[in-house]
Amino acid sequence: MTQILGSKELMAQVRNKDLCTACGGCVGLCPYHKAYKGKIAMTFDCDMAEGRCYAHCPKTETDFEALSQRLFESEYKGTPLGTYRRITAAKAGPKMAGDRFQNGGTVSALMTLALENSLIDAAVLTGKDGIVPEPKIVTEAADVVKCASTKYMAAPTVACLNEGAGQGYTNMGIVGTPCQLTAVAQMRLNPLNKADFKDITALTVGIFCTWALDTRKFLDFLKQRVDTQKITSMDVPPPPAEIFVVKTADETIEIPLDEIRAMVPNGCSICPDMTAEWSDLSVGAFEGKPGWNVLVVRTEKGGKLVDQAVEAGYLVLDDFPEESLQHLNLGAGNKKKRAQENAERMDS
Amino acid sequence: MQKLSVDPFNLIITGVGGQGNVMASRVLGNMLSKNGYFVSIGETFGASQRGGSVMSHLRISCESSFSPQIAKGQGHMVVALEPTEALRVLGNYGNPQINVLCNTRPIHSVGVISGEQKYPELEEIKEMIAKLSQNAWYIDATDKALSLMKNPIFGNIMLVGALAATAVLPLNKDDFETTITQTMPADKVALNMQAFEMGGKMID
Amino acid sequence: MTILTQKEKGARHLLMGNEAIARGALEAGVAVAAGYPGTPSSEIIENLAKVSDEANLYVEWSINEKVAMEVAAAASFAELRSICVLKQNGLNVASDFLLHLAGSGTRGGMLVIACDDPGALSSINEGDTRHFARLLEIPLLEPGDFQEAKDMTKWAFELSEMMQNVVMVRSVTRLSHASGNVVFGELPEVEKKARFRHEGFFLDPNEGVVTSSPVFYKHELQQKKLAKAVEAFEDSPFNTYSGPENPEVLIITSSACNLYSREAIHILEAKDRVGLLKLGTTWPLPPKLLEKYLSKTDKILIVEEVIPFLEENVKILAMELAPKIGIKTFYAKRDGSIPAFNEMNPDLVINPLAKILGIDYEAMPAEYVAQSQDFTTTGAPARDLTFCPGCPHRASFWSINHVLKLDNNQGFVCGDIGCYSMAMLPTGFSTAKTMHAMGSGTGVASGFGKLGKFGMEQPAVAVCGDSTFFHAVIPALANAVHHKSDITLIVLDNSGTAMTGFQPHPGLKVDAQGKEALDLDIQAICESMGAKVDISDPFEFEQTQQKLFDLLELKDGVKVLILRQICALSPEKKGKKKYEMAIDETACMGENCGCNRLCTRILRCPGLIWDKEKNTSKIDEAICAGCGVCASVCPEGAISRKEVA
Repeated sequence: MTQILGSKELMAQVRNKDLCTACGGCVGLCPYHKAYKGKIAMTFDCDMAEGRCYAHCPKTETDFEALSQRLFESEYKGTPLGTYRRITAAKAGPKMAGDRFQNGGTVSALMTLALENSLIDAAVLTGKDGIVPEPKIVTEAADVVKCASTKYMAAPTVACLNEGAGQGYTNMGIVGTPCQLTAVAQMRLNPLNKADFKDITALTVGIFCTWALDTRKFLDFLKQRVDTQKITSMDVPPPPAEIFVVKTADETIEIPLDEIRAMVPNGCSICPDMTAEWSDLSVGAFEGKPGWNVLVVRTEKGGKLVDQAVEAGYLVLDDFPEESLQHLNLGAGNKKKRAQENAERMDS
Repeated sequence: MQKLSVDPFNLIITGVGGQGNVMASRVLGNMLSKNGYFVSIGETFGASQRGGSVMSHLRISCESSFSPQIAKGQGHMVVALEPTEALRVLGNYGNPQINVLCNTRPIHSVGVISGEQKYPELEEIKEMIAKLSQNAWYIDATDKALSLMKNPIFGNIMLVGALAATAVLPLNKDDFETTITQTMPADKVALNMQAFEMGGKMID
Repeated sequence: MTILTQKEKGARHLLMGNEAIARGALEAGVAVAAGYPGTPSSEIIENLAKVSDEANLYVEWSINEKVAMEVAAAASFAELRSICVLKQNGLNVASDFLLHLAGSGTRGGMLVIACDDPGALSSINEGDTRHFARLLEIPLLEPGDFQEAKDMTKWAFELSEMMQNVVMVRSVTRLSHASGNVVFGELPEVEKKARFRHEGFFLDPNEGVVTSSPVFYKHELQQKKLAKAVEAFEDSPFNTYSGPENPEVLIITSSACNLYSREAIHILEAKDRVGLLKLGTTWPLPPKLLEKYLSKTDKILIVEEVIPFLEENVKILAMELAPKIGIKTFYAKRDGSIPAFNEMNPDLVINPLAKILGIDYEAMPAEYVAQSQDFTTTGAPARDLTFCPGCPHRASFWSINHVLKLDNNQGFVCGDIGCYSMAMLPTGFSTAKTMHAMGSGTGVASGFGKLGKFGMEQPAVAVCGDSTFFHAVIPALANAVHHKSDITLIVLDNSGTAMTGFQPHPGLKVDAQGKEALDLDIQAICESMGAKVDISDPFEFEQTQQKLFDLLELKDGVKVLILRQICALSPEKKGKKKYEMAIDETACMGENCGCNRLCTRILRCPGLIWDKEKNTSKIDEAICAGCGVCASVCPEGAISRKEVA
């Protein structure tokens, strides 16, 4: 079991070392950690010896074995893709026909169904205010698609889960990045051993992530090149194209990826998780098959939802070829390796 | 002019900013000055009122006027509007013969409120004061002022009344009435007289 | 009718030093009194303002001390008697004008009444104004007790008119704010006719041009005037000696130290051994007088506060007189007998004096000292300064801290002078990181706001009160606007000069005398300068924080946020609760993760205490002012408020 410390240590080990990726796991629990424009700060000092903020943080020491037992009731193996039952290609089915998606629309389809069949009483999703990501609690199935599309900027989405717990929801779903879902998983361990702890998380859907962007730096960067109010879409085309594409009503701008990478938060460089291992289901873009997603089923509950979705016309599945699986393994494995190297370099 | 038990008589009124310390010392000073005594009053107010300790030094003499600051260890009587302030004063101006009249209602410093400091129990305070003084009287003036007069500020006048009752200084109700009539609007006089009398009754 | 206008000559009253000074001015027939609130001087103007109609005075709280000095000077030029009242910092502000005034001379008697604060009981410095007298070459008088505070003030007008120059009367906190018996003199019926004569020859002191130029001529004249004052000092009744004809030790002292020295001699029972020369005319020192008393003995103890002034001046004279009077041994600050910082008290005189006299003095029995100190440490927790319960500043800084922290760019507050100076302390969440003089918050911020070209990305936020805004912030703000300095000014408008006792200022509809006055609008002034201005009620957290976030977003130029809410000690608000507060003990999370006593540990309002038996917070009904702010602070909603009918 890893040692749980307090916010003083959280500041020293994570924030002051510029390792925070603004997942929001520490926000919404207390008056001290608050998020504003994609950055999390402490309003005042807190001198608790042990805090949930430290326990939830994905950048403090993580007990992978404990998480594995809690979520999957199995040993942690350390494989690149984490524990899973099956991987398929997937995309939104005919029931979602009216909507347009950046990739396959699998996440929107799954969350829409989950709300409609009351598997969850609320969904924590990341919506948008213009192009700025805005975490929100969605209770109407029809509102799910409004939160579709990749955000690129790190947003403190887990804060909404914490707030939702405070508001009385008992079966929440959350769509999150790997760091966000690591925080959620650690939360579900009841780290402070509270007698009145309730696990209010009913469904976790992870999205693949190699890096995110610092919201403030990225917004400033964009504002210098384009009228951010007029942006209609942002995308990273598959390799070998090393560009970031921004589209407005009037123009299309291509930005070299190197310039974009300069705005990746430091904390992303030590993240070992590409496919959001600590979830019921994980979804990513299927680079080999435009318009489709990769869908990773990790838990029984996740599997059941996928089957339901297919049956009800929300989801369409297809094979995920061996070649693609190897490619995915390689990518995820490389991320783990880079994370290890970067972490060692930082410690030395 | 009645002779004093000791000349000059050194009286210290202490409390926390906002308790009416300054008013009490002026009232007492005027009561005695009217009867011909030489009176000096030294006060600490201003910034210290913002939650800080407030102390008045009164020098009363038949002979001449003295410095408004009492020297170390030269106190004869302490009137404390707040119990820990009595201890603070005794630390600088006390001696084994000093007497103490103390209001029992605590006012927590912000250090105590925030958890950084500990506020002692009243019994502990009484024990400490007993070791540092000759006689000590305790009255719950603030509580009485709150419950019987609906305003805690009358606690200071109750202490003036109680001080008169201890007879350490030549103070009486008539002098108080004369003084208060000159300094307060007419509609407030009756309330102040009531507080003065209540304070006197709290000393047996 | 107040005590101060009572006509009974010879009546004895118990008066505060400041009241005695005010009475002295009335007995001299003063016509005009101007000042700016500053502890420990404020009561002088306040008391004169109360009787302004009755005693036919014009009394003004000027916008700042420089203008106050100018207003008083105008009265003097018009052949009326006037005073300018200020604290030590105020003299610094007025010093440029005073320098020139000392050169130009005066007509009607004019006094500068400077009240210093040694020990900084109500200041963030303990500057010593006595040195200005020497620098500006004007006479300095220092009352040594309450009777003198009155008598000296009255006489000072005569001196001023004899010399035709301004005279400085200097008091300290322990005289101004202390009280003692004063015997009244006569209150004259004076005809006050204002007439400024200016049609005479340029250099005519009574009918010419009032200026310090031509400098060499006026300067020599000024020095001749000062010499006349020295002659008057030689037999002044304000320089007194008490003690034996041939003392072992001579104490030379002035001001409040006179009272401490007398006390020391009394306690050591040494009045047959120690002579006390109390000087009331302390600049320039009358040489013949000093020669007489310095001759009496070779051991001289000089007792004064903060930095040496009396000591140095006496030593210069002693050196010049040495061939006649011999070499003296001085005990003072330079040899460490008396400290050169912090205020004096009887014990700081008793200790060196006992040593010189060879007396073994024990203030308190040793065991009593040990035990009482132990008990004070454990039994009397020190009282940190804090905003009053119900103070709008606590709410303002709560929001300012919140916004600067969330903005996450190491923003900071440049503080200014007023109750809100406490923003440096935990009571103001330690948001203020610079703090100097009136208006300097905005000036310093104006500087920070131009450092962007050197990589400065931290937002600079200046704060000021409504009175401070008028006193000194306006020029600094204009500077910032003109130079496009990227700063935010937060005006903490609590409708009065609160720190010093809630006096009026040019932003209010009433003046020092309680008469109708024209109020200047802070918002309009800032807008006309070209700043972007918004207003909020600091008690409304969400609105205030949103407005501040929005202003911080605007990078270029000066932003002003006016936070308007009246002071808790104002006559309108004091003693009146808006809300009745209550705590739901079951909802209070207290010491748990998720709260960690946000209200008592951080907000620290004196009216909200911690109940260690129940492990929850508790309202102290004797102290709570009912402002309702804590209800907005509690993260669990455990504090509720109900409007009082």
